[in-house]
Amino acid sequence: MGFERREVTLASGPVSYFVAGSGEPLLVLHPAGGVSISRPLEALAQRRTLYMPVTPGFDGTPPHQTVRSMEALADLAADYADAVIGKKCDVLGQSFGGWEALWLAVKHGARLDHLVLEAPAGVPAGGKGGLPADPAEARRKLFAYPDRAPPMTKPVEQLQGNRRMLDYYGAISLSDPTLPARVAAIKAPTLILMGTKDEIIPRETGQFLKREIAGSHLAYVYDAAHVVQSDQPERFLRIVGSFLERGEAYIVNWGASTRAAIPGGTR
Amino acid sequence: MKFNFFHLMPWPDYPREPEEWPVSNKDFDAERGRQLYSDYIDCMAYAEQCGFDSIGCNEHHFSPYGLMSNCNLIGAALVHRTKTVRLAMLGNLVPLLNPVRVAEEYSMLDVMSGGRILAGMMRGIPHEYIAYNVPPSDSRERLREAVALIIKAWTEPEPFGWEGEFYQFPSVSIWPKPYQKPHPRLLMSASNDESAEFAAQHRAKMGIVLIADLKLARASIDLYHRVAHASGWEPTPEDILIGHHTCIADTDGEAREHMRKALDYFHHILMRPQRSAQQLVIQKTRYYQREETGERFQARLATLRARTMEEQIEAGSIYCGSPETVVEQIRRVHKVLGHGTEQFTMKVGNMPDQVVRRGMELFRDRVQPALRGL
Repeated sequence: MGFERREVTLASGPVSYFVAGSGEPLLVLHPAGGVSISRPLEALAQRRTLYMPVTPGFDGTPPHQTVRSMEALADLAADYADAVIGKKCDVLGQSFGGWEALWLAVKHGARLDHLVLEAPAGVPAGGKGGLPADPAEARRKLFAYPDRAPPMTKPVEQLQGNRRMLDYYGAISLSDPTLPARVAAIKAPTLILMGTKDEIIPRETGQFLKREIAGSHLAYVYDAAHVVQSDQPERFLRIVGSFLERGEAYIVNWGASTRAAIPGGTR
Repeated sequence: MKFNFFHLMPWPDYPREPEEWPVSNKDFDAERGRQLYSDYIDCMAYAEQCGFDSIGCNEHHFSPYGLMSNCNLIGAALVHRTKTVRLAMLGNLVPLLNPVRVAEEYSMLDVMSGGRILAGMMRGIPHEYIAYNVPPSDSRERLREAVALIIKAWTEPEPFGWEGEFYQFPSVSIWPKPYQKPHPRLLMSASNDESAEFAAQHRAKMGIVLIADLKLARASIDLYHRVAHASGWEPTPEDILIGHHTCIADTDGEAREHMRKALDYFHHILMRPQRSAQQLVIQKTRYYQREETGERFQARLATLRARTMEEQIEAGSIYCGSPETVVEQIRRVHKVLGHGTEQFTMKVGNMPDQVVRRGMELFRDRVQPALRGL
């Protein structure tokens, strides 16, 4: 599955993005490491059109001078969705991108269909978790199975630049002082995924979001650390694919007989 | 007429209307839970002293609706608290469970109790399938195969293997085997045509609860009789169990006052959260093979919820009043349904336990004697 790199110019500046696949749109908001095209994302692109904007300042792109907070990034994502996708879409946010997705759902809920949060950052967790500054230690906490992680093809300078952008967006602590009080406004059907071995985003974050977002679903992916889709790609795909396909009905096991009878049955 | 004392073990003081199922357990008070189990088991055991013929246990998951996620555990507690009363396990939700385990646990209870169990083989209500992640569309066929396997496990004299569609066991030989020979009597739900046929085909006793329309219940009973006849056997009145929420108090006024509050809690707190989950299962799967059966299931619950207590009494859905009033209500329903087993759920919602116990004593002293010979 080839991802094509494109660019769109929005009011605050140019935004580079990757696009692939066909089908209903899925907006993918990347983690603090920048854009990474994993096997599960490639698999999702078999049934969806994936749009993956590069957050300004990440992966060697220039930052936008007027976009300097996570909330402002969510506004930018909404502008991007309007300009490029042009209709309501599902959103998948990974970690840092999950934080952005939360703000997007809070402020621009009408643009969202389903919301998937993979180990989302942004919710204070009483000092638990956090991203280590040491790259080796960070990598150890990101992946339970580093051998399954996408190859590190980005230059060190780019990775260091991505890290600096966390500070630029006020995101270095992974904690947003104003977001928690706003998430109860989210109306989108929401799936919160947490790895059982995640030491970066603690389980309290998932529990908090589950409690605050009415009708949301919290699911633990067994034997996954922070980057769930890398550690457990099949489990990630199974639950995310089912949720995107069926919404809240994903909790009902369709079984083989119903799968055969109902087109699109996935679980 | 035989009488079964049925208990849901509800959580009686949930503070608000729960919005979603499963219901969050963050406020579960373990000490309150310990006390409830103690009180409820005492109350169920007391049913023997009050002249009930059997005590009913059941299985529900993930909400304050009932604290009995495994009815066999409560059955085991009752075995040594009772002497002669039958233990109606109503029952294990068989398609959700390992059928060999069900065969073993029912056998244990049957042997421990000296042959006092009635073996409920329940399919369960739709949303329970989400709890154990079992495909609802397979529920009927899973039940059919599981029941066949359980009976085989109870009756085969030598170790055997089972190679089925849903279950495969290379070698089975349970210890203990049941006390009753060839095995405990089965009971199945018959609240709709599908299940009434199924129960009759399996020579099981049939049970109907939460009746909204006596004529529909009568139709299910008639169908059960017809299918049983076609299957080569004739049910007795005792094979037909009809369940009612029941409040017996010293006066009609007192009973109605208690029942009104209890029904409000039952329908608006305990029954509320599972509605959306049930709808998902009914709409998105083939839990009910016939579409109209699913619609009827939801319509029945909606009808009961919308009715006033007086309308529910009039419709024969509940019993409520002084002993003499309840006797008349039972006679009226019996005239339509002709059933031989009546099941009382006296702990309705948050009905106070002392009201339940007083009702049980009034049953013993003034209801059961008046219905001898019915």
